[in-house]
Amino acid sequence: VKALRSWIEDRLGLRPVAAYMGKKEVPRHGHTFLYYTGSSILLFLGIQIVTGVLLAFYYRPTLAEANASVIRIITEMPVGWLVRSVHSWSATFMIITVFAHMLGIAFTKSYRKPREATWLTGVLLLGATLAFGFTGYLLPWDELSLAATKVGTNLPRALPIIGALTTKVLRAGDDVTGDTLSRFFIVHVSVLPLALLAILGIHVFLVQRHGMSLPLEAERGKVKLPAIPFWPNFVFREAGVWLVLLGVLLTVAIFLAPGVGPQADLMAPAPEGIKPEWYFLFMFQTLKLFPARILGLNGEIIAVLVMMAGMAAVLFLPFIDNRPSDRRGRIITGLLWAGVAYAVGMSIWSLL
Amino acid sequence: VKGRRRAIAAASVLLLGALLAAGWLEAEAQDAPSASLKPAAAPGHGNPAAARPIKERMAVYVILAWVWLSIAVLLGFLRLRVREADRVHRMGLFRAGDGSPQEPGH
Repeated sequence: VKALRSWIEDRLGLRPVAAYMGKKEVPRHGHTFLYYTGSSILLFLGIQIVTGVLLAFYYRPTLAEANASVIRIITEMPVGWLVRSVHSWSATFMIITVFAHMLGIAFTKSYRKPREATWLTGVLLLGATLAFGFTGYLLPWDELSLAATKVGTNLPRALPIIGALTTKVLRAGDDVTGDTLSRFFIVHVSVLPLALLAILGIHVFLVQRHGMSLPLEAERGKVKLPAIPFWPNFVFREAGVWLVLLGVLLTVAIFLAPGVGPQADLMAPAPEGIKPEWYFLFMFQTLKLFPARILGLNGEIIAVLVMMAGMAAVLFLPFIDNRPSDRRGRIITGLLWAGVAYAVGMSIWSLL
Repeated sequence: VKGRRRAIAAASVLLLGALLAAGWLEAEAQDAPSASLKPAAAPGHGNPAAARPIKERMAVYVILAWVWLSIAVLLGFLRLRVREADRVHRMGLFRAGDGSPQEPGH
């Protein structure tokens, strides 16, 4: 064992990493539970990769075979239904934890100097996660997924100058066809994972570089916080959270396994009650509420521009609220609560 | 301590009950091979296809019960390890005299 350890050490030089982990400490305070959300995202990402690879063995991204291959996976393959269900539910859990992670950071103002770049990469990771959801939704190639993708890819068309081109690039043509399916599949299994892993690497490096943020009172220096070593004290606690999440995920995946709808027909009219995935519902409802014309301007263009402005505000939050880290930032907190209430309210309204 | 013991006992009974029930259901399913498959919804008829073999489903329930039992045992083990690690850390702190981080994350 000693010889093997020395062989590995000579080639990889992991001693500084082990020394860093041995020295690293995690502050203990009322918001310590937020630290677990970051690692939980990594857990769900790992599950997504493993189950995604298993599904890709049998999935066929062609117009004629996509829907049938998903049906084959869930009806014929041993525990195929469970693998697909875990993949689907893990995606949902991952998005929930990403939102929880980002909201926790936003409410505790942890995006402020020197963690602006950490926030920027985090928002990019959120975008990549949502893109995973959007591209993955089409892959079963059933009526609902086709209709929802038509609506989703049609959104950028409202934008002046680049709108029509963006829609064409997304769809691989003027309409949603088999080429769109192939494109979404390649993006889902190849482009997005590579992009996500690259951004994630930078994000994790930045988290280690700047350390975990502290509550405002501690940043002000009024309170001296206790800390626990990362290894083994924090890692053991984290392992407990992972175990519980795994159990919950498996239970939900077994009892609420998703089915697959009838094969999509490109010539058929859109079915009634089209709805996107739950995390896009508030945007969907916002679009529905905007009138066709506002002060003589196209309402759809204004709705898309308003949503883009909202996304830009989230992305550049550290530069909008660039005050010293010890300031409370009540206006930002109020705006965040308003944003959360709006998203939840609109999503519920959309479901009614 | 008494309440915790009662909770652990109740959880153990619940898990054992789930294991027995799942095992019994699996045995029932094995006795009736003719009902081993739920009919798959035909594509194009509006019903989502979600058929799966009953035997497999029963086996999965059994595995799920075992998974939760393993999680409970592992959580108990982790709790002991956390306590031990915290105790060792506190002893180290008392010797060093100061355990607060000087910089965030360090």
